[in-house]
Amino acid sequence: MAAPNRSHYQSAPQVDLENNDEEDINDLIDPDDADINSFDDPLHPQPSSSRSLPSGNISSTAQTATAISSRWGLSGEDRPAPLNTIDEAVSTTLLRDLSAIWSKLKEVLYPKYLFGGTMTSISDVRNLRLAQAREEIVGLATRAMDADSLLNNNHMSSGLRDWDLWGPLVFCLLLSTLLSFKSREQQREVVFSGVFAMVWVGMGVVTVQIRLLGGNISFAQSVCIIGYTLFPLVIAALLSALSLNWIARIPVYLVLVGWSLAAGVSILGGSGVVKNRVGLAVYPLAVFYLGLGCLCFIS
Amino acid sequence: MDQSQQAPGSLSWRLSSHPITLLTFLGFRVSSLLVYLFGLLFTDNLVMIFIITILLLAADFYYLKNIAGRRLVGLRWWNEVDPSTGDSHWVFESSEPGTKVINATDSRFFWIAIYAQPLFWIALAVVAVFSFKFIWLPLVAIALVLTVTNSLAFSRCDKFSQASNIAGSAFNGGNLAGSIASNMVGRFFSR
Repeated sequence: MAAPNRSHYQSAPQVDLENNDEEDINDLIDPDDADINSFDDPLHPQPSSSRSLPSGNISSTAQTATAISSRWGLSGEDRPAPLNTIDEAVSTTLLRDLSAIWSKLKEVLYPKYLFGGTMTSISDVRNLRLAQAREEIVGLATRAMDADSLLNNNHMSSGLRDWDLWGPLVFCLLLSTLLSFKSREQQREVVFSGVFAMVWVGMGVVTVQIRLLGGNISFAQSVCIIGYTLFPLVIAALLSALSLNWIARIPVYLVLVGWSLAAGVSILGGSGVVKNRVGLAVYPLAVFYLGLGCLCFIS
Repeated sequence: MDQSQQAPGSLSWRLSSHPITLLTFLGFRVSSLLVYLFGLLFTDNLVMIFIITILLLAADFYYLKNIAGRRLVGLRWWNEVDPSTGDSHWVFESSEPGTKVINATDSRFFWIAIYAQPLFWIALAVVAVFSFKFIWLPLVAIALVLTVTNSLAFSRCDKFSQASNIAGSAFNGGNLAGSIASNMVGRFFSR
């Protein structure tokens, strides 16, 4: 079944994912005693090749990419794996991934950027004031030392470096299911698919907005974070499914939406958006959470 | 056919060196398709079928990417993000040449499953379009994205693995042409 490219197996491994169809045929055979790291730059001596640099969201313009990937001018890096990690036990893998999920969830449960440090008031979660507050912090940090990057890395690294889509998937499914419980029999499928589509489209729109504002966050990362921050809204949907009284819903849901927003902002807010546009970047996020909160409210 | 007469690499799970991994992997692959195809015979609840299929697809994606790939064929891939710039960085790993013995049966099962699954889903997408069941299209699209991603990533891992394998073996034997030829023939028939 792997036959299509079988006869070109000697091609050097600089084949990128996106132009994967037929363009890798023209690759050279590298010298047999070549080390992996001593391959030539494949792009240079091949003017006749139809190979082109990969385009799309995995841009090759990264200055900070590792030596290998920038030398190959490609989107990825190939490397041999040490046997001890490639042969690790299944339980090790599962445990590691579960703990990664848990650590991401913890960042959402306890948005430290807002609740820790100097900003203690939940009522600060209004966009303008938040933007101002952030600027204050950034100014403070740059005055103290060159800590802007520290500030960013501080609350981004663990949650952002390795993303997964379990959170978005599970919470999106839970939200759609819980919201469709209370709807009428005939409308159940429509409600489910509507909420499901709305969540994913909303995540996409918010991410595109952040990217366009100059945020240094990849698409998948942003979807991952927004997905995990849906957790408070899942609680809201659960309360709706349990037929909470509508008067009690208003304060509770406002707090839950605020919680989601605080978590989303505290993780996404430092993603390198041009400083005085943080409010602009956060606004669609707030609309997104508020919309879902309203859906929970009326269901 | 008697087990002793089966050629190495034939499609029998008894010849596998990781039978549990292999069976779980095939189970996940097949079960998502089965639930999608035949789930409606048992229940009228479209939402339920949708959820179960998506969860099975996600489990299959995860299992293939993180467990089956490295145990069956010694390949692995993932995506890293540079936290300071937000650039994604794909990493494709293959086990170092000569250190991991890859069972021919495992490898054959693996590659057949990995390339057949997207084809099935493409066929199901065509069926869904022409039978005007557009409500299933999002599900099929998700399935296609998940399976095609894995297929592309693993085939790239495999290219690198073969390239370094050939480099290594040719260096050892000192006969580049011979090793390429034998490798090509061997691989052609072993899959």
